[in-house]
Amino acid sequence: MRLRSALPLILVAAAACSSSGGGNETVTIGFTGPLSGGAALYGRNVLDGLEMAAADINDAGGVSVGGRHVKIAIVPLDDRYFPNESATNAKRLVHQNSAPIVFCPHSGGILAIQGFNASEPSFIVGAYSSEPQILESGNPLTLMIPPKYPIYFDAFAQTMIDSKGKRLGRIPGAHAYAKEWTKGFSAVWESKGGTVLTNNEIDYNTTTDFSSVASKALSEKPDVLFVGGPSQATALVIKAAREQGFKGGFVVMDQAKFEEMNKLVPMAMLENSVGVMPTVHHPDFRAARFVEKYHLKKGADRDPPREVSLTYGAMRVLARAMELAGTATDARAIHARADEAARTLPDEFKPSELLGVDATGHMMQTTVAAHVVGGKFVPLYLKQNE
Amino acid sequence: MELLAQQILNGLVTGSVYSLVALGLTLTYGTLQVPNFAHGHLYMWGAYLSYTLMSSAGFNYWAAMAVSITVLALAGVALERLVFRPLRNDSPVNAMIAALGVMLFLEAVAQNIWGEEFRHLESPYGGVVSVFGLLVTAHRLILLGTAAVLMVALLLFLTRTIAGSAIRATAQNREGALLVGIDTNRVAMTTFAISAGLAAFAGSLVAPISLVYPSMGAMITLKAFAIVVLGGMGSVPGALVGGYLLALAESLGGTYVSATYQDLVAFVVLALVFTFKPSGLFKESV
Repeated sequence: MRLRSALPLILVAAAACSSSGGGNETVTIGFTGPLSGGAALYGRNVLDGLEMAAADINDAGGVSVGGRHVKIAIVPLDDRYFPNESATNAKRLVHQNSAPIVFCPHSGGILAIQGFNASEPSFIVGAYSSEPQILESGNPLTLMIPPKYPIYFDAFAQTMIDSKGKRLGRIPGAHAYAKEWTKGFSAVWESKGGTVLTNNEIDYNTTTDFSSVASKALSEKPDVLFVGGPSQATALVIKAAREQGFKGGFVVMDQAKFEEMNKLVPMAMLENSVGVMPTVHHPDFRAARFVEKYHLKKGADRDPPREVSLTYGAMRVLARAMELAGTATDARAIHARADEAARTLPDEFKPSELLGVDATGHMMQTTVAAHVVGGKFVPLYLKQNE
Repeated sequence: MELLAQQILNGLVTGSVYSLVALGLTLTYGTLQVPNFAHGHLYMWGAYLSYTLMSSAGFNYWAAMAVSITVLALAGVALERLVFRPLRNDSPVNAMIAALGVMLFLEAVAQNIWGEEFRHLESPYGGVVSVFGLLVTAHRLILLGTAAVLMVALLLFLTRTIAGSAIRATAQNREGALLVGIDTNRVAMTTFAISAGLAAFAGSLVAPISLVYPSMGAMITLKAFAIVVLGGMGSVPGALVGGYLLALAESLGGTYVSATYQDLVAFVVLALVFTFKPSGLFKESV
């Protein structure tokens, strides 16, 4: 771990040397997220998107700011998912590396960073979290990248009530994010005339065998089961329910991804589920092009996770905002041009359709969810304004 | 009624795994007075080895399991020789700290080799069968059966063979065992080998119904300690019965109280035992 966190510093040092020698300027973009522990893969994926974008931008000569070409150096620091470490890391990145932007992929860390990012030295927090709370504080220098999770509620509930029935059994994870999701989704389900059954909240990370909680939920004869936590554990919950004869549908919380679950359970078990659309099956032509690019870089057997494509887009938007603002260092000026940047970004730089950045700092995009029918991912188009 | 039967079945499956892990723990504790905190991590290694042999080397399930048990048994011997034997005459605190060190070491090495991702071992017996109207996968039935067979074999070994008697004698009185000519060093090695082998067996059995990841051993170690305390430290029948009792308490408690508190049941049981019968349910020796 030591080595890995020291490496970026060496890279920056190297970049600094080259800038003094070759007349090349470099701007540091920070990242603080889990790079070890249970969420390491997730953190790695978010970072991958940023690094891919930075590499593409640098290959094309860098960001052109006032006639100069500025290269981007991504400096990642591990915070092991702890908000206090995210804050410390962000401070380090801003004070030591003068980063005008720091990305963070979890709401706890983002909220901690929002405590000081607007005061001097100010910087933009690139927020990869679908938690609406991160915009409610009114922080002027936040860019929220993914759609807020309530966007899924209406379409998920309507699709399942129409196709499977009104009784909703629940086996969500016990973590804070899942609790909020469950509460919000259950309310929407009831508002559509559905019945909400017992909440069998369970810790997805420590449970050895999900069959007993599945038996309990199924004893109430649900038509639809609500599940959600890390993809692999969620797949096991689905498997346990199907093995006990459950024929209904699943509502899968946006944390779990179909493409990951499909590695553990066959598509037949995922039949009649609603969840996040895998990037590989995204109907947008820009997404298809992005998948192709990812395959070229990482190998044809690796499909890009959603985190990669969304953060790639965000990095592209911010780089363009730097060009429009004519500065690679003034966070406020860059943030002010983010909306224009998102709307005018050329198609080849976007992993999907981007509609702009709203007044609160939320990146607006067409969001597509998936309904598994006959082993295929049928797109569900969602409204951005929830 | 059907729900109750289903939950008892689920409890028995989890209980088999718990009992196997707790058995190994109680054996090492009874014979050597070492609380092996790394025991659950041996279980994790057993699961990883079986997974790797099956997915990368094309072994069949039982062959992979056999190799994994053998490797772990040898690792258990090494652990006793290199870590616990040199500390035998020191304060017991040193052995405990060493056990914690082994635990951290095993987890870090596993993380380095296999990474943080969750792995899943595909059981060759994935089909669903109906038993008296209850739906259950064939693998779970196999798990129940093989675990029971192994436990009976272990009991027979401990009570009917000379090596087994030597283990029990050492557990009862180390000096006494030495005096009657028992090679207690060999007993210690055998015990660690059996204990680690049992952990590998349990890990390989559970891998197809669960996920394999570097920190999977932590929770099972906690549960196994709860079971060993419940059954009486060092007691073999205590670990056997305690494992099934705890798992049944979890699955029934999860159903009739709240699924959210399923993991809490173990610790409530632990607190009750400490309060009302601190010596455990089965106090009498091995």
